[in-house]
Amino acid sequence: MSQTPDLPEIELSWQGDHYCGRFSAMASPCELLIDSNDRKLAEHLTTLAFYEAKRIEHKYSRYLTGNTCHRINHSAGKGAALDEETYKLLCFADSCFSLSDGLFDITSGVLRRAWKFDGSDRLPAPQQVKSLLPLIGWQKIEFDANRILMPEGFELDFGGIGKEYAVDAVAKKCAELVPHCSMLVNFGGDIQVTRARRNKQCWHIGIENPDSDGRANRLLRIAHGGLATSGDARRFLYKDGVRYSHILNPKTGYPVSHAPRSVTVASEHCVQAGILATLALLQGKNAESFLTQQGVTHWIYR
Amino acid sequence: MQLNQRNNIIGALTAATCSLLGTPAIAQESPSTAEPWQFDTAILYYGESERVTAVEGVFSASKDFGNEHIFSGKITIDGLTGASATGAVAQPSAQTFTRPSGKGEYQIAAGETPLDDTFRDTRIQLNGQWTQPLWQDYRVSSGVHLSKEYDYLSMAVNANLARDFNQRNTTVSAGLSYAFDSIDPEGGRPVAFASMPLRSDYATDQAFDDAFDATRLSGSDDKNTLDLMLGLTQVINRRTIMQLNYGLSVVDGYMTDPFKMLSVVNPQGLTQDLLYENRPDSRTRHNVFWQTKYALDSGVADLSYRFTTDDWDIDSHTLDSRLRFNLTQDSYIQPHFRYYQQSAADFYRPYLMAAEGLPQFASADYRVGEMTAFTLGLKYGMLLDDGKELSFRIEYYQQNPKNPGFAEPGVLQDLDLYPSVKAVMAQVSYRF
Repeated sequence: MSQTPDLPEIELSWQGDHYCGRFSAMASPCELLIDSNDRKLAEHLTTLAFYEAKRIEHKYSRYLTGNTCHRINHSAGKGAALDEETYKLLCFADSCFSLSDGLFDITSGVLRRAWKFDGSDRLPAPQQVKSLLPLIGWQKIEFDANRILMPEGFELDFGGIGKEYAVDAVAKKCAELVPHCSMLVNFGGDIQVTRARRNKQCWHIGIENPDSDGRANRLLRIAHGGLATSGDARRFLYKDGVRYSHILNPKTGYPVSHAPRSVTVASEHCVQAGILATLALLQGKNAESFLTQQGVTHWIYR
Repeated sequence: MQLNQRNNIIGALTAATCSLLGTPAIAQESPSTAEPWQFDTAILYYGESERVTAVEGVFSASKDFGNEHIFSGKITIDGLTGASATGAVAQPSAQTFTRPSGKGEYQIAAGETPLDDTFRDTRIQLNGQWTQPLWQDYRVSSGVHLSKEYDYLSMAVNANLARDFNQRNTTVSAGLSYAFDSIDPEGGRPVAFASMPLRSDYATDQAFDDAFDATRLSGSDDKNTLDLMLGLTQVINRRTIMQLNYGLSVVDGYMTDPFKMLSVVNPQGLTQDLLYENRPDSRTRHNVFWQTKYALDSGVADLSYRFTTDDWDIDSHTLDSRLRFNLTQDSYIQPHFRYYQQSAADFYRPYLMAAEGLPQFASADYRVGEMTAFTLGLKYGMLLDDGKELSFRIEYYQQNPKNPGFAEPGVLQDLDLYPSVKAVMAQVSYRF
């Protein structure tokens, strides 16, 4: 049974032992599972989640103009003012950059101009890739708590952390409102649970099996913590018997060889799981040993 | 590459995550997914009307060391006192029995089921189990068990391998366990079918002691148990999980109960003699177990059925159902109903007829006879902060032994040879 709440963008349904609020944001189906039979509360929480997700999407989407992301990307040479949230995101990206020795770089989005992972055999010309390399390099960016200064032609892309960050931010906001209620935030398979459910039950959630073409959903049981998947089995190029993954090495401008098709990591927080999954992809054939060394639960599809 | 030099980046990453999300810094100190120790304590009272009373204390601890590396340990201490049925039949007149130790006697009034009231024991059990993933999709678990009471020692080891399929929706497991039990009862083990000597039949204490000693074997005896278990667990949908197990148990060794006897009666039903029982020294048992758990709108329904059959001809059926109903977010009640039915062992004899020869094996222990039993219970639980839980359970248990078809000669027709056993259980548990 599904009833339409006041806000037309969200949909609320009773799932037998919990409420499920659904909406669409960040180009993904989003759901909020609420371990409560209080319909008003569920509606309120879903509305809160929707607004928080939309706020983050509008602030950091690279497809919009006039937002924070656009303002920074068009401030080359002049510098742009930073708010506290954006500063924290940049600090996080900075940590990921140094922890990965430069493999995780939020300035590498410009490579999309050369690479179109549409399943075809159209590899970019080497010259085209080479021409983009001078526009990549997080180390060339200066920032402090108030301002960011980027060289001419540089762009930031929050795509690698934005959705996972939004999942955590929504989970945090909901948990602040109802700390004793367990909730699961799921934005297209990136998941965060706020706290353990009543009666020690697990949340059961169907997520698209990244290994297949979406025909089978896999059922996942999750009790606490976060979960994120990186990689996309459908985004690749194929030429002369070689499969080119969409995971690009920002130093060479070329796809990482032997990268898994997708990596799923379970960790305390969704954003941390997401970074670990992405770093694992960047390790190519060493993805398994990398995640084993980190001591995190993971699933790798090759 | 620096990543390979700094093998473990998760600590630094956790710190970065916490400052991004503004979560407390505690997470920085425990970057792994390890969870704190969890403890379960329980105290159980079990009281049969006019028979055994037991008090049991349980303390168990488990810890997830991260990544599903789990240790669990348990200490159980039982104190049992009271009387238990000896296997002898009631008689129209008072009966005298020699105590199992050979020191002293006890009287049973006319019409009463003979109970040995010297039953008194303290048992300590220790269990330890370690479980961890072995490689992708495999889990291995291994454990030890030790149980010690005054005249009994049991030691066991087990190992289990489980594999997840189908994105962890299907789990197949295989397990093996081996147990070694040693028994050394006070007064020694009786010689099979030896006649119980009574002091009044002998002129002197010495003559009686010699006669008693002649019915006893010296030293301990033991038994070996090998169990094999195959299991299949399947997630059916978001609400339903189903489990199917098959178990094979092979026991070899001393399975006679040194405290049980049989009455030898004449055609009038009057006891002529009392013989110590004798059971086969091997037993092979198969069991099949099926369980379904279903998540309801506000609770969990749990239904299970077990069938066992063995080469002693004991077949049993157990139906068990629990319905957990959440009263509020933080409390629940759980009614429990269990029904049990078993057929008698092929060597079960409520008594032996004096005119007939001795069978190869015989026991009058009602526990290997035909019976039905049921349990009715109710549990109330309260969920406290931080995953703590306090619960109370009360149950009523009744065992109804039945005559599997033996003709009752003479006076036995007027006596209750198959008295019901009624018991009450009360338990308080606290998890923290």
